[in-house]
Amino acid sequence: MNAPPTVFVIDDDQAVRDAVGLLLQTAGLVVETFPSAAVFLESTAVRRPGCLVLDVRMPGMSGLDLQRQLQQQGYRTPIIFMTGHGDVPMAIRAMKAGAFDFIEKPFQGEALLARVREALQLDALERRRQIRRAAAAERMALLSPREREVLERVAAGQYNKVIAAELGISLSTVEIHRKRVMEKLQAGSLSDLIRMLALCDEG
Amino acid sequence: MTDSKSASCPERDRDGRSTTTVASTGDHAGPTGFRLESLRRFYVHPAAISLLYVGGGLLWLLAGDPLLAAWLADGAPALPSHLPRGLLVLAASGGLLYGLLSMQANAMRRAFQARDIARDRAARQRTEDRLRQVRSELEARAQERTAELLAINRTLEQQNAARMQVEFALRDSEERFRQLTEHLREVFWVYGLAEERILYISPTYEEIWGRPIHALHERALDWLEAVHPDDRSRLQTAHANKLESGFFNEEYRIVRPDGAVRWIWDRGFPIRDDGNHIYRIAGLAEDITTRKLAEDQLRRQQVELAKMARLSLAVELASNMAHELNQPLAAIVAYTQACVALLHQDQTDPRVLTGTLEEVVQQAMRAGGIIRHLRDLVRKHPTTQTALDLNTLIRSVVHYAQSELRQIDTALNLELTEPLPAVLADDIQIQLVVLYLLRNALEAMQQTEIGARELTVRTAPADASTVRVTISDTGHGLVAEAAEHLFQPFFSTKPGGMGLSLSVSRSIIESQNGRLWATPNPDRGTSFHFTLPRHTNPGSPFPPA
Repeated sequence: MNAPPTVFVIDDDQAVRDAVGLLLQTAGLVVETFPSAAVFLESTAVRRPGCLVLDVRMPGMSGLDLQRQLQQQGYRTPIIFMTGHGDVPMAIRAMKAGAFDFIEKPFQGEALLARVREALQLDALERRRQIRRAAAAERMALLSPREREVLERVAAGQYNKVIAAELGISLSTVEIHRKRVMEKLQAGSLSDLIRMLALCDEG
Repeated sequence: MTDSKSASCPERDRDGRSTTTVASTGDHAGPTGFRLESLRRFYVHPAAISLLYVGGGLLWLLAGDPLLAAWLADGAPALPSHLPRGLLVLAASGGLLYGLLSMQANAMRRAFQARDIARDRAARQRTEDRLRQVRSELEARAQERTAELLAINRTLEQQNAARMQVEFALRDSEERFRQLTEHLREVFWVYGLAEERILYISPTYEEIWGRPIHALHERALDWLEAVHPDDRSRLQTAHANKLESGFFNEEYRIVRPDGAVRWIWDRGFPIRDDGNHIYRIAGLAEDITTRKLAEDQLRRQQVELAKMARLSLAVELASNMAHELNQPLAAIVAYTQACVALLHQDQTDPRVLTGTLEEVVQQAMRAGGIIRHLRDLVRKHPTTQTALDLNTLIRSVVHYAQSELRQIDTALNLELTEPLPAVLADDIQIQLVVLYLLRNALEAMQQTEIGARELTVRTAPADASTVRVTISDTGHGLVAEAAEHLFQPFFSTKPGGMGLSLSVSRSIIESQNGRLWATPNPDRGTSFHFTLPRHTNPGSPFPPA
């Protein structure tokens, strides 16, 4: 989890791969290059933070195929597609499938760098959210079924009285449950509680 | 002898023999007739002979010896005393003689009569025979004549029938001729050389030319006035030649009185008399306006097609090459910007910079190579048919189409027969066809699962005069209905397909004297085949580019 964010450049054209890699390196980024989608998929890089700079047209598995594979395996690494002349339909497909962006060859180094940086930020953000979500889910798992019921109603903005009536328990029991929930979830306030719940539901 | 006997004793001959004798006179008529007639001539009446006898006796009685003696002695005669007795004897003998002679004469007369009767009868018999003979002859002749007449009659009837038939046939053929000439789309004409004018022209003339026939008969040059001014002098020359050779074959335009222009194909051939001299020229003139327009349109279409093919290929290839070109350009931009960044960062390790710049040069060279290739391709000979090596052509198309081939995971098999006989075709157009067929195959395999996508390009001599190219896919194949419309324009089984490429491909192949067709593969997918004629002069196969 502490590995530096890396830019994974995947292109079957050796010169493009090299040049883009060099360009990103000179901007101070960590770069790894791959000659094909298959090589990338088989490596550990899939799991590592960073972003992909991916050629849309490649022999064998194309950029779009790789995008689909990654999504199926649950990876959300942002992808910047490099497209050639007349690849607009493919670019559109890529964007619809959730690509971060596409950039048309030949491109300005600055434009690519800007997009790469944004993608890396997004990935970092996404990974932090992922971590928080994992933690929230972990704590959420500690709750008893009754505590969960109380939590859902509290989050929905119901008063304790109403909750007691709905669940057929006494008001004081509701209050005890509520306190236990706050402790287990390590929430300081109601708003913390709600955010955590939203994070879990999202996942 | 017999004849004289028969003459003297006619009685004995009064039986059949006499008939035969008489009948025989038919053979010996001359002499026998003569003898009988001469006998008849010497016939003397008995009275005359008796009188002669009495006279003589009387004379002898009166004169007698004494008279004679006296005559001799010049003495005076004295009347004999025996005279009365002598006279008596004389009278008696005279009467006797007469009686005998009369009997004889009667007998002779009878004999003659009998003979005459016999003769008559024989003659009658003969006549009868003759008559009978003549009658039978006549009958025979009559029969002959009748038969002859019958035969003649028959012949006449036959001739008549034949003539009728001929007449009917003639009338029929006349009718047919009339129908033919009146309903024929062609104008039939006969020109008389001596008359120096059109002798006959069928009524269709008026319809096509829009001019009356009588004008043609009245003014010999009416036909030339109808001819389009641009074709007139050419036609006058042809007309002059026609009068010489009898042959005529011209296509020309006419201007109708309503201003419409029609194309005419006019052909003439000589008609010779017995002396083998051309005396007439007969011909057919046909309105070929529709065909001519269609030809013009076809030619225009072919030019358009060629232009379109060239353009589409240029666009196709340019598109593919623009993509190819982007690769080195992207690399160049990235390398140089990396260099710029390095220079800015004061970490200028000259070795890194040099290596990178060398990369830049290489990529620029690569881009230049691609552009040169494209230029060569587009600039290449205009729509001329040249000797082509299909294997080379296919390899280069496959190379250009590589980015497309790479898009889908397709195994490409090239089964190219080496050496392959050169074909005669237009390079650009055939490249376009191959490209279209490759793309068609790729598109057909979009729904095919990865791993089963196979594209095979095969070349082989088809027969002694053609070479065949087959492009097989493992795609969705063709349903029968689609197979029918496959080569029609704007027919497509693919979403978003324009449906033009196959119809254009077929037009191209057919315009190069080849054939393009599709067959379903036994297992899956479709094969497209096209043939092209071999280049017939393998001595100089490839012209300088």
